[in-house]
Amino acid sequence: MEQAVYLITLVGTALVVAAAFSSLIAFRFGAPLLLLFLGIGLASGVDGLGIVFDNAHLAYFVGAIALAVILFDSGFGTPVGVLRQAGLPALTLATIGVGITTVIFGIAAYYLTGFTWLESFLLGAAVASTDAAAVFFLLRAGNINLRERVRSTLEIESGTNDPIAIFLTITLVEIIALGAKPDADLLLVDLVIGFFVQMTLGAAIGLLGGFVIVKLVERLNLDRGLLPIFVLTLSLLVFAMAGAVGGSGFLAVYLAGLVAGNSDIRAVSTLKRFQEGMSWLAQIIMFLVLGLFATPSQFPAIVVSALVLGLFLMFVARPIAVWLCLIPFNIPRQETAFISWVGLRGAVSILLAITPLLGGLENGRAIFNIAFIIVLTSLVIQGWTVGPLARRLGLIVPQRYGPLDKVELELPGSAHHELLAYKVVPGSPVAKGQRIPRWARPSLVVREGRSMRFADMGRLQAGDNVYIFVPDRYPRLLDRLFASRAEVDAEDEDFFGAFTVDQTHLAGELEAIYGATIKEEERKLSIGDLIKQRLRGHVEYADRVSLGPIDLIVRDVDDKGRIVAVGLSIEPAPPPPPVPVFLSGSEISQRIRRFFAKRPQKPATTQEPPTTSEGLSEDA
Amino acid sequence: MDLSDLIEVPAIMPALKANSKKQLLQLLAERAAAISGIPEREVFDTILQRERLGSTGVGNGIAIPHGKLAGVKRITGVFARLETPVDFEALDDQPVDLVFLLLAPEGAGADHLKALSRIARVLRDTDTVAKIRGTRDASAIHALLSETPASHAA
Repeated sequence: MEQAVYLITLVGTALVVAAAFSSLIAFRFGAPLLLLFLGIGLASGVDGLGIVFDNAHLAYFVGAIALAVILFDSGFGTPVGVLRQAGLPALTLATIGVGITTVIFGIAAYYLTGFTWLESFLLGAAVASTDAAAVFFLLRAGNINLRERVRSTLEIESGTNDPIAIFLTITLVEIIALGAKPDADLLLVDLVIGFFVQMTLGAAIGLLGGFVIVKLVERLNLDRGLLPIFVLTLSLLVFAMAGAVGGSGFLAVYLAGLVAGNSDIRAVSTLKRFQEGMSWLAQIIMFLVLGLFATPSQFPAIVVSALVLGLFLMFVARPIAVWLCLIPFNIPRQETAFISWVGLRGAVSILLAITPLLGGLENGRAIFNIAFIIVLTSLVIQGWTVGPLARRLGLIVPQRYGPLDKVELELPGSAHHELLAYKVVPGSPVAKGQRIPRWARPSLVVREGRSMRFADMGRLQAGDNVYIFVPDRYPRLLDRLFASRAEVDAEDEDFFGAFTVDQTHLAGELEAIYGATIKEEERKLSIGDLIKQRLRGHVEYADRVSLGPIDLIVRDVDDKGRIVAVGLSIEPAPPPPPVPVFLSGSEISQRIRRFFAKRPQKPATTQEPPTTSEGLSEDA
Repeated sequence: MDLSDLIEVPAIMPALKANSKKQLLQLLAERAAAISGIPEREVFDTILQRERLGSTGVGNGIAIPHGKLAGVKRITGVFARLETPVDFEALDDQPVDLVFLLLAPEGAGADHLKALSRIARVLRDTDTVAKIRGTRDASAIHALLSETPASHAA
């Protein structure tokens, strides 16, 4: 017995250590890291080193717990502001989008495999969800500084769509396992009712659970080391409770994380750090276990149809679903195209593909294998092309700030203050003499190994370490003061324009000096308001508005979304590469109107409107 | 467009001394007035108004003040190399020591902008800028400005 403990621990830890080491390699080469974890699992498994692991129940159990941990963390790290910005399109993608993908993919699967209709849809549901971990990791590791709206949409979609995909898959497994031949109508009704019951219960328990977690953390004076474990356990409790009463545990745990992470909870930075670590571990374990569980020697039988299905999912099913879901939101085509391409599949899809095996379905093993190959295809093809595609579509914006050297420390006994330690970087505003605001209390400065009181210091110098007490909801202003100036290269200068203009001046001035194309009624607007109006109220860092011969670029916005700096470019940017297919809602209505307007004269040859795309940030 | 079309050697001040942005603009206006025959005051007011809209300091010690004037017959440039840099409220907070003033007639339209972007491009070339900073000879500066930097051929 004892030997078994050692053996299993030895093998298990060796695998995790190998995976952790591989992350170093992955960061260096930009390879999809998750693929490596999966590869290590595969290589050690039954067809590689020969570790036999064929326990579907255990694999699913471990995977589900790991997913709960990951979802709590991703909810915890999602600011509510992001939700407000991109919530609606993202949630549409996460719900209706998953449904549409499932159906379109299911139809293709039916004709490409020997599965029944229900089994085909089951496979579709398993691979319909975008993997949060994969998306987050790719964006972070690839150092891809995406436009805010795209990034928020992707992050929220991938964080929230798992519960829906899980619900669909499990429901379908249950239906098939029962062996009944249900009426299509009845099936649909069951699905819809089941969906609402599960999601409502899950949401209610999740929100409630989140509040309880916050309250408990506030009340109980737990040991600092124990606190993160306590929170993690509570989150799993929420997960389990929601599941026990028939709700969606995954939705519950995500929402609990969202509530806890956004409610000024004690020891936020400790919790974040711990959860980030746990999230990594969960990720590694999940991929290792799933890799171990797979049996590559069975793959050749299905590999062709799986590859075709994988490509179909990438190039047809997901794009159609994304396009349909985003029509009402008037999102520029470049962004729609990108969002549809970043529909990365990951561990959740493989995990869901285990459920048919659990349900004892005849084709369970084949479904699992196909899903496995589809995930591999997606990680390889999409994972490796995300960066270049984002660049090509013009969705990458220059970094806002340069590097920052900061450590956050928590203070025992004070729930709402933090000690921040900044190192003064050369070129940062403080090094140039900017004052630190009064609400921040700089208390100590360490210069050349000697500590001094801030008041005795005079001007800060590069290399100083400054310790500042701040209320823990400090605005990001401090970071801005201590960050070095972002490196602006020539391309960025093109990006932001050579000149600056004051956003409070009248737009009419631009017309006088540069011959900017401005409408009569726009002349009286301030430049800031003009930009805002042209962008339909939603202004984002790095947005661009074309005024004929010149472009205005939003160089910076403050915390409340107000424009604080505007660049002026006298070399209007070339239009981003045209993306033909993904028409937005207003484009569709325009084309329909044009179509009918032209009909009377030339009914036979309806001229195709030019396919040049509109400006990046302006919706036509 | 070649910068030698807009600027002639007499319009280059290779070792100007100025203490402030305002004085710098005044000296530029004075030289522009001498070349184009437009009252100095008008030139000064025009470029000052543009500065109020936002500094034309484009960073790295370079500024390109500009404006449109009814009396100007053709696009006219004036260039100054300062002995000591002055604060120009530039975006990168760096004091400015190379200034290209560009005046355009009211109807110049696209040519005005083309000239501006050409100037910005030439002065973005680090080699050219370093060489200009290293000389006090007006015709040498003129030659440098008129060159087409190979890397930024426009």
